[in-house]
Amino acid sequence: METSMTGKASVGPARRRHGELYNAWVTAREAFWIAMEALNTHKLRSFLTLLGVVIATTTLIVVMSVINGMNLYIAEHIANLGVNTFILSQYKWAQGYEAYLKARRLNRPIRMEDYKFLKEQLVGYKTMGATAEYGGRTAHYQNQEIYDTSVVGVTPSMIDIGQQKVDYGRYISESDFTHSAPVCFIGTDLVNKFFPNVDPLGKEVRVSNQSFRVIGVAEKIGTTFGQSQDNFVMIPLTTFQQYFFNRPELNISIQAWSAAQMIPLEDEVRMLMRVRRHVQYNQDDTFGINASETIMSLWQRLTGTIFAVTIGVVAVFMVVGGIVIMNIMLASVTDRTHEIGIRKSLGARRRDILTQFIIESAVMAGTGGVVGILLALLINIPVQKFVTSSVPPSAIVVGVGLSVLVGLFFGIYPANKAARLDPIEALRAE
Amino acid sequence: MEPFSTTEPEVGTGRDGYDSPSPDNIVILAQDLWKTYDMEAISVNALSGVSFSIVRGEYVAIMGPSGSGKSTLMNLIGCLDTPTSGQYWLNGRLVSELTDDELAYIRNKEIGFVFQTFNLLARASALHNVELPLIYNGTPPAERLERAEEVLRKVDLGDRMDHRPNELSGGQRQRVAVARALINNPSIILADEPTGNLDSATGDEIMNLFERLHQSGNTIVLVTHEHDIAARAHRIIHIRDGKIDRDEKVG
Repeated sequence: METSMTGKASVGPARRRHGELYNAWVTAREAFWIAMEALNTHKLRSFLTLLGVVIATTTLIVVMSVINGMNLYIAEHIANLGVNTFILSQYKWAQGYEAYLKARRLNRPIRMEDYKFLKEQLVGYKTMGATAEYGGRTAHYQNQEIYDTSVVGVTPSMIDIGQQKVDYGRYISESDFTHSAPVCFIGTDLVNKFFPNVDPLGKEVRVSNQSFRVIGVAEKIGTTFGQSQDNFVMIPLTTFQQYFFNRPELNISIQAWSAAQMIPLEDEVRMLMRVRRHVQYNQDDTFGINASETIMSLWQRLTGTIFAVTIGVVAVFMVVGGIVIMNIMLASVTDRTHEIGIRKSLGARRRDILTQFIIESAVMAGTGGVVGILLALLINIPVQKFVTSSVPPSAIVVGVGLSVLVGLFFGIYPANKAARLDPIEALRAE
Repeated sequence: MEPFSTTEPEVGTGRDGYDSPSPDNIVILAQDLWKTYDMEAISVNALSGVSFSIVRGEYVAIMGPSGSGKSTLMNLIGCLDTPTSGQYWLNGRLVSELTDDELAYIRNKEIGFVFQTFNLLARASALHNVELPLIYNGTPPAERLERAEEVLRKVDLGDRMDHRPNELSGGQRQRVAVARALINNPSIILADEPTGNLDSATGDEIMNLFERLHQSGNTIVLVTHEHDIAARAHRIIHIRDGKIDRDEKVG
């Protein structure tokens, strides 16, 4: 008590008791609470100020979430041709409309002969199957009908390659294939429509005036881009030839034993097909070999563009948001000139005032970022009903980090202005 | 309980009979201070060659009419400003040539300001206002709180710590300001018209507080234009037209 009230005997050199870092930490923490209080006091003003940053963050997160979700979705549903499987088709997928038209014009379709040829000539593959599709049909059972059904002719081996799995009954057998049996393996859409309470096995389903006896039902797959993947009638490929197309256009699925054997096997098929079609060494393939990567690469090119546009939009919002914050901070410096004077008279240095206002600006912008993320999470709930969307953790870090950076940057000018105020002038201000 | 220490000051032979200034006990030494403001066409000398010294434990009033230069002198003593020429030593340190940051440090550690308009942060509690100077020397929160509570109790505001300035009377606000001035054990307490915004009874109460601080050994410099207030000090430096007019011991 005595010493605390008496005059001091001597004063040492200007050294603070704690490290400079600790001082900065104490000041920063103080500044953080000042900022939180300021935000809390002026809720509406803060909200309006932060709107730009909020919109920017929300946009960024929502787009990142949708792209992220779609990536997962595409990988799982669309680019999922089967394990270690590639598909030989008339043309290469996903190479642009011009190339597609050209390929349609120049390339001969893949035929049964090609399938038999590969079956005889190709070695070292695990499974090979072929499919032919006749889409947009109407299927009937008694007096009911279902539209837009795909009739798919398959080889029995497709059970090992395709997406379909047997729920009950059985798949197309070798015997069905050999005898061109009028049997079918149907998707759950048909089951739900025609046989909600009845055992579908043994019932006759009609497509294009042809009757097929149901021998099995597939497990539900779900929808891709709102398109049901369960609205199909699978029949033996030989039956398909007999009833629909004598010379069907095929997609041949070839499964390798391992991922490492994919490329050699693709090359083998390419070589065989080029020889078979007499393609000159300097000519392009007259057929397409498609793997999951083909689809993924197209998708990634597409999302790359979307992402670049988003970055541009977000950047504009962020700059606008940053300028609004700068403006408010400048007003705040003017409003609080007297406070700055008081703080300076009590020993706040330039850097203390600078830190205070920069942190206030960063906290403000960071709050905008957090609100933006919360808003994005909220928006994500209805969006998820239409497209797969999942908020990646990295998006949250990027969202808040970016907002804080914007706050730091646009806080520099007002904070510097505050720090440079003359203490006497500032104290005089009211 | 006696709120202030009754220990004899370390220097001085009595309340009014101070030692003559010597390097050991001089707190303030001003030599030929000039402050010139450059207006557009002319230069105005707010201070023209002021020299004086104040020893530890003194209670000095700087008195003068408005425009006499006493505010300018107070700003220089308070290290809010630097002189155009001349030397100002505070506690053995030549502060007239320090940088902004060094001046901030001196203000934090060596000077306790008490202003006419209190200059408290309106949105902060009494406790927070008092601990503010400690924030700027990096004192940890627990210690800040402890010391702020201690000085607030010393000015008899132990039961008003969580009140904001607008919930306090003028006298209470000024006592918060005094507590804030005391918290870093400054070399001098520099009061600028501390009773100017108070009624005479409350002003008296504040002047009694200063008297107690003086008796417990604090060096006090009071800036005022009121003779009644200045008379409470033990030495009056009269300023007129930027010069020392008279330097008298009273009391």
